[in-house]
Amino acid sequence: MNGHIIVFISVAFTYCTTINGWAWQCNAENGYCTRILSPSVDEPEHPSLAVCKLLCGQPSYLNVWPYPTGKIASEKNLVMVDPQHITFELDGSTTTKNFLQEVVDYFQENLSRDNSNCICQDYYPLVVSLDALSDDLSLTLDTDEFYSLKLNTSDKRIRVEIVGNTIFGVRHGIETLLQLLVPYQNADSACLATLKNVQVTDKPVYRHRALLLDSARNFLSVNTIKKNINAMAASKLNVLHWHVTDSQSFPLELPSLPNMTKCGAYDKDRIYSPKDIEELVTYAKIRGVRILLEIDGPSHVGNGWQWGNEAGLGNLTVCTNQQPWRSFCIQPPCGQLNPANPNIYKVLGQLYGDISNMFPNIGMFHMGGDEVFIPCWNSSKEILDYIKGKPTTEETFLDLWGEFQNKSLRAYDAAVGNDKTSIVVWTSHLTDPNVIQKYLPKERYIIQTWVPDTNQDLITSLLNLGYKIIISTKDKWYLDHGFWGSTLYYNWRTVYNNKMYSQYHKSILGGEVCMWGELVDDSNVESRVWPRAAAAAERLWTNPSTTAGAAEGRFFSHRERLISRGLKTEAVVPQWCVQNEGECSSYL
Amino acid sequence: MKQGELRRALMVVTVLCIFLFIYLYWQQSTKITPTLVYNYKHTYSSYKKSHPPQWTWECINQRCERRSIKGDVGAVSLATCSMLCGSTQLWPQPTGPVTLGSRAVTFNHKQLQLESIVSPPAKALLEKAYTSFNENIVSLIEKKDYIKEKTDLKRFLIRVTIVHSDIVRLKTSTDEGYSIALKPIGNEIIANITAQTYFGARHGLETLSQLIWWDDYANGGMLKVLKGATVQDSPVFSYRGLMIDTSRNFMSIESLKKVMVGMSANKLNVFHWHVTDSQSFPLIVPSVPQLAKTGAYSSGMTYAPEEVKALVEFARLRGIRVVMEVDTPAHAGNGWTWGPQEGLGELAVCVNERPWSMYCGEPPCGQLNPENPNVYDVLEKLYKDLLDLSSENEIFHIGGDEVNLECWAQHLQKTNTLYNYTDLHDLWGEFTMKALNRLYIANGNKKIPYIIVWSSKLSKRPYLTKYLDKSNIVVQSWGASQWPDTPDLIADGYKVLISHVDAWYLDCGFGRWRETGDATCDPYRPWQTVYNHRPWQQLHLNKKQIFGGEAALWSEQVDESSLDARLWPRAAAFAERVWSDPQLDTTTYSIQEDVYTRLNTHRDRLVSRGLGAEALWPSWCAQNPGMCL
Repeated sequence: MNGHIIVFISVAFTYCTTINGWAWQCNAENGYCTRILSPSVDEPEHPSLAVCKLLCGQPSYLNVWPYPTGKIASEKNLVMVDPQHITFELDGSTTTKNFLQEVVDYFQENLSRDNSNCICQDYYPLVVSLDALSDDLSLTLDTDEFYSLKLNTSDKRIRVEIVGNTIFGVRHGIETLLQLLVPYQNADSACLATLKNVQVTDKPVYRHRALLLDSARNFLSVNTIKKNINAMAASKLNVLHWHVTDSQSFPLELPSLPNMTKCGAYDKDRIYSPKDIEELVTYAKIRGVRILLEIDGPSHVGNGWQWGNEAGLGNLTVCTNQQPWRSFCIQPPCGQLNPANPNIYKVLGQLYGDISNMFPNIGMFHMGGDEVFIPCWNSSKEILDYIKGKPTTEETFLDLWGEFQNKSLRAYDAAVGNDKTSIVVWTSHLTDPNVIQKYLPKERYIIQTWVPDTNQDLITSLLNLGYKIIISTKDKWYLDHGFWGSTLYYNWRTVYNNKMYSQYHKSILGGEVCMWGELVDDSNVESRVWPRAAAAAERLWTNPSTTAGAAEGRFFSHRERLISRGLKTEAVVPQWCVQNEGECSSYL
Repeated sequence: MKQGELRRALMVVTVLCIFLFIYLYWQQSTKITPTLVYNYKHTYSSYKKSHPPQWTWECINQRCERRSIKGDVGAVSLATCSMLCGSTQLWPQPTGPVTLGSRAVTFNHKQLQLESIVSPPAKALLEKAYTSFNENIVSLIEKKDYIKEKTDLKRFLIRVTIVHSDIVRLKTSTDEGYSIALKPIGNEIIANITAQTYFGARHGLETLSQLIWWDDYANGGMLKVLKGATVQDSPVFSYRGLMIDTSRNFMSIESLKKVMVGMSANKLNVFHWHVTDSQSFPLIVPSVPQLAKTGAYSSGMTYAPEEVKALVEFARLRGIRVVMEVDTPAHAGNGWTWGPQEGLGELAVCVNERPWSMYCGEPPCGQLNPENPNVYDVLEKLYKDLLDLSSENEIFHIGGDEVNLECWAQHLQKTNTLYNYTDLHDLWGEFTMKALNRLYIANGNKKIPYIIVWSSKLSKRPYLTKYLDKSNIVVQSWGASQWPDTPDLIADGYKVLISHVDAWYLDCGFGRWRETGDATCDPYRPWQTVYNHRPWQQLHLNKKQIFGGEAALWSEQVDESSLDARLWPRAAAFAERVWSDPQLDTTTYSIQEDVYTRLNTHRDRLVSRGLGAEALWPSWCAQNPGMCL
């Protein structure tokens, strides 16, 4: 027998009788929950902060993250729910029902975490009706995520009606409902509490609300990726931008190109098999998340591509792992695709073909396209021969890069059999407003900007030229900053306060927080990303005119929520500040 | 296992469980009994799938180079190449001579055997240390059934000799040195570990564990050890501390045990537990239970006396002493509010006072009431319990930092006693003298050899010499290394414990946590900054007056969710600074490739022991030593 089992069991035994020393009182004036000691019987106090937060504030306010954008009404009286007595009514076609059933399972799974075997007394049965108006199961940029939620208590019954135009809208409604069910414990009973009546309509401001994970610098296990997807679902982020490869490694197993992982994976345990991918894609979809895969090129390529010569295809890349690295790239190891070798487009075609088989069509694909290091190409005899006759100026190399991009696009279209996919690329020399139209037609390309906040001019110019963009403000939304060089860490307030360029500009599709992987792996990625990505989630879903200060208490609640769902999210303030709302916020 | 055996085993387990349930049922009305095991149980993520190797490493000019495997003969894993290629892979680097063999042999953990040439009472400790050594070895194993494979050895004997078996409490004078002589005799390996004390011996076991690694290429995965090695080692500083704050955010006992697992792997030997602050009082003090009752965040977020004692014992086995700090007179608020109800008057003033920026450095405010004589009675009881809980009476920490005189002035104005003081620093000084006197009484009228106080206005002239007795006061200097504090204290003849904020504050770099105000201690201190801090060289300090070094983690922006990653491997970089004190080139501040390689190996070692240590760099850099520098 070991000690851990004993501790576990005793916790289960004492669950109902745990008496918290504090109670919380709602301050009607400012909507803050105040901690008080030794609750007296007469005062309207609440046994937990979560219950107080549920009830406190105006009827038009809910302690939900991200904050709904539509109408809210509620009656702030508690009703008790027994997790054992929640039933669902599902509507729609069989495929819709099957999907909704998965969402219901997700709901149950997240509901049960906070509850023990303690019996709930004085509860009302809860019936949840889910209705998706459309049977469309595809999840793309154009998916309608609207939902409405009505919770009504009458005749000792609680009925919730969640209606969405798509199942993904319904899923968001389920998420909101989850956030409205909080544990309620006292000496002899453990229930969930919710409000007596609630009405919400809600939909996001931006369609593309993403987290970038990088599994090339350091490998991330499937389990770690799933945990991030869970946190995304809880925060209504809807795109996992998966930077799966880079010059360091190539962990994605491709059925028709087994050499990529053979030459590029760190080892055979650090590979994503097609089965892993299938599992992840489904897992994400149930959580309303689509996976936007990025295969970066022509730069950020190297390990994984060294097999060309042996296979008789010539050098697929140049400068791979070349030293001294500072002469050939900006971060070791070096490597760039070899545009002088026509075989690379055959290989890319196979690669794109495999990917389109493994990942469902979401209408988008990310080709990277950042940080081409010209001295690398300029050092290759093969490439210099290829551009023979032209001067070795920046313009020549940009043309070469543009040619590469164009041929890659054709290879992609050929592989998927149409030219409907929107291709995302990072801002680079190629997206310079002066030259971009020469290389990247706006009908096909979406530009992901990663310039600092001060460089709004670039965004303006790209929008004026008619490009659709995704914003990843480098000095606010790069979650790897603060641990290397002279970069600074951006805490949740800075992340939250990153006002989007121009609200409701139709060409701004949304934004992404980016977790580059140099200094994170399974050990610490969760706490590096969360809860900061949740701050970005509200910026993208709600885009409030207010700043972090106004969202503080609700944000702290959301952090506790993520913890209760088993996610290792970083602490952002002393617990005292969480328990004493508003007391740490300013100088006064 | 045969079927009958399984049935019997199940029976035993069932009976045990029934007893356990009866016991627990009987216990539940009283209190959750903390059942701390002495040995930290590692949780394995999962055993890896077995795959043929993909890369091989070749040792060229004392550096391992990664190559693709051609054919399937003679592949060398990175772990094996690193162990046999130039660098020691030991962390912290031993200070004495080290010779390592250039060959390795395979074995399995069942072949390990302890022979202790040790008398009681150290014998019992050593056996427990051996158990945790064994667990460390087991934590390396990535393949469950590897034990079936043939090994080069029949037996791996670890013979430990301890000269002074009577020393079982760590003191500043304790000899922590050890030597290892590991050699093959026939088909056995014998590792002789010799030490003056138990504490040296356990360090020897730690080093020995670092000469052992998992080679996933050998027969699909085997343990390996060097075929020969000698190590002589002892630390440069006798106080190698790590401070954890459990007041701003609570850390569970389990998470603190993990901290100690990490400390023992790095031969850090003082766990400075900043257990309380103005935010919360999670420590249940047996003779003053009101403190936790009114100060803990919740009943679950407390430390019971039995838990603390078990943690202290857990630490002792790992060569760590626990120094508990209940900071006073400032940094005390929540937990000290019950005085009026019990007829003791106000024990603390300005508690949770607003605007906080007037009365303290961060919310919530609170300072003990120096005018209330009952405060000193409470302190005496508290000190007595702290001495008892920590079993530590050579070193004591009284806190003593960041007193806000405005808070006291406001209070004294209310009681019309402000005119008694022309300089409120004297009030602070008197408080400290009174508190120290109560500490003396609490310790049975015996002087405590080293009493640590944080550097503050009181530790500056003229108050310093007036109120702090240099014969037993150690000042923990936390100001920036450019501040005059440290050289001044040394010049005035004080012993100094160094915790410079600009190098050894591990909490810095996460921006301001309040809506307004500054992020006072940005930026983050990367491990290189921690490692390259060598103030005795940089500030030309007399090393004899340096009591030791301590890295500190304040917990405003960290709790157990990210504790591991915040600490490791940076605290490991600190550990090598205070154990080995390697040379520092103060013109370039460049760090040798060897340090990167060894620290990377050590980081993986910490991960295998269940610590969520931060990644140092992309794995590619680990697989291609020297190529990312």
